[in-house]
Order: sequence, then C-alpha cells, then structure tokens
Amino acid sequence: MSIAGFIISFLAIVSGIGVVAFRNPLFSAFSLVVNLLAVAALYAVLGAHFLAASQVMVYAGAIMVLVLFVLMLLNLKTESGREFSIFKVALLGLAGAVCFIGVVPILFSSFAAVPQHQLAQNAAANEGTVKAIGLELYQRYVVHFELASLVILVGVVGAVMLANRRRGEVAMPNTAGVTAAAERSPTEPSPWEQRQARGGKI
Amino acid sequence: MSSVAGYLGVAFLLFIIGAVGVALRRNSIVVFMCIEMMLNSVNLTFVTLSQVVGNLDGQIAVFFVMVIAAAESAIGLAIILSVFRSMRSVETTESSQLKW
Repeated sequence: MSIAGFIISFLAIVSGIGVVAFRNPLFSAFSLVVNLLAVAALYAVLGAHFLAASQVMVYAGAIMVLVLFVLMLLNLKTESGREFSIFKVALLGLAGAVCFIGVVPILFSSFAAVPQHQLAQNAAANEGTVKAIGLELYQRYVVHFELASLVILVGVVGAVMLANRRRGEVAMPNTAGVTAAAERSPTEPSPWEQRQARGGKI
Repeated sequence: MSSVAGYLGVAFLLFIIGAVGVALRRNSIVVFMCIEMMLNSVNLTFVTLSQVVGNLDGQIAVFFVMVIAAAESAIGLAIILSVFRSMRSVETTESSQLKW
C-alpha cells in the first residue's frame, strides 16, 4: 500500500469511528462525509476513477444532503444518558475480536501470494475510466442498467408516498384531500378562503 | 504484506465499525448512516478484488450497489420521517411494538 493509501485509510477508519462515537447526530453526519470522501480517494488510488467521481456525487452529494436535510428538519437533541450497557459492548467486542482473529490470517496468507508487479499490471490494464465502464455498462449490462433506472423510479415514487402522508391517515394519496375536508367543520373556512380573507398573502 | 491485504483490512474494519454502530446506537438516522458505511466497505472490497482478478465486473457491481443505495436512502429517510410523525421520536427503543 502506498503512502497516500495508508494516510487515506487511516482517515477513513478514524472518521468511521467518529460516526459511531459522536453523541450529536449532526457531527456523525459530517464525520460520515469525511469517511465517504476518503473511500472515494481510495477508489482513485486503486484506479477506479469513474467510481471515485460517482462516489463523491452520489454519496457525499446526494445521499448526505438528504440525511442532513432530515436531521435539520427533525431538529433532534443530542442523546442524553448512557447510550449502551457495558455487557453489550463487551459481547460485541468479543464477537469483533473473534472475527478479526479468524479473518486476518486468511487475508494475509491468501493475498501475500499475489505478486506486487502483477497486481500493478492488472490495475494498469483495467483502469476504471469512464470509457471502459461505459462500454461495459452499455454492452454487457444494458438490461441491468435499465432495470436500475426502474428501481430508482419506483424508489422515488415510494418515498414521496411515504413522506407525504399526514398523521392518523392511511397511506392512500387519492383520499387524503377528502379526509382533510371531512375533518373540517362545515362552518370553518377552508385554508384557501382564509388566505383570501387575509388579502391573498400567506 | 501485499497491498491487497491492506485494502481488504480497511474494508473489514469499516464493516465492523458499521456493524457495531448498528448494534449500539439508538438514533435511527445514525443507524442508517452506519448501514451506508457498511455498504461502502463492501464496495471497497469489490473494487480491490476487481483489480486482483483483472476485469471490470467488480466495478460494475459497485455501480449497481450505489444505485440501490440511493433508492434505499430515499425510502429509508421517508420511513424515518413517517415514524417520527407518529411516535415523535426517532429512537429505536421507542418504536418496539413489533418486538415479541
């Protein structure tokens, strides 16, 4: 691993610990931004340039804006009191240590055999440029690509349906207006009439 | 030590940190962020092994994981919002009605 890779990995792990350790969810979110950018830099070091760019755009751009937006909207307070029991932490630590002891020797023994120069050769031969990824995506994986766009479409429609619902109502968007109108007493003016009475201003 | 092992070790550590966060934190938005981190560590594994094998299939897989993660984050945050509307809280301990 190069010096750059080492520094970036360190940054990724430290900011990852920050996500879990910060009490304030807002700090966790900013720590996650650093983590995602570090992972994007690792992609770039590994030669996956297209993925590095799309990681910055999709994760650090779109998804984190969404998360921060929801955090600001809900206006959460910092969690108070003890977050977790000592027993739980000890149990998790034990499980993590067992995994670590089991995985690390396999990692080091199986990939130590791959010669360094061959690895560099492979990396240079299949650099993940936009052109290379695009050719693969539009030739071999074109059906998957179209299905992915369908998944995004369904996801967006579902998210709007879920977030649009008012409290105490069933998730039926076409009856939402009817229910709201029925809940109002007949004598009470509708929001539209109230606004008209104020001279059209909101 | 080969550099492949280093990158896989970083991915492994990130996955463990994310799993610990999912198990320990009570704020469901932080749990959500930890899930994103675990997805990222798996993506890092894909990219590293794609370089070892010497073709681009792993990177294509990462592309599709990103697409699904984007859809998942939109739906997940909408669910968190509607849970907050009915429970007035995003703590995972508050919404335990389905627990046995």
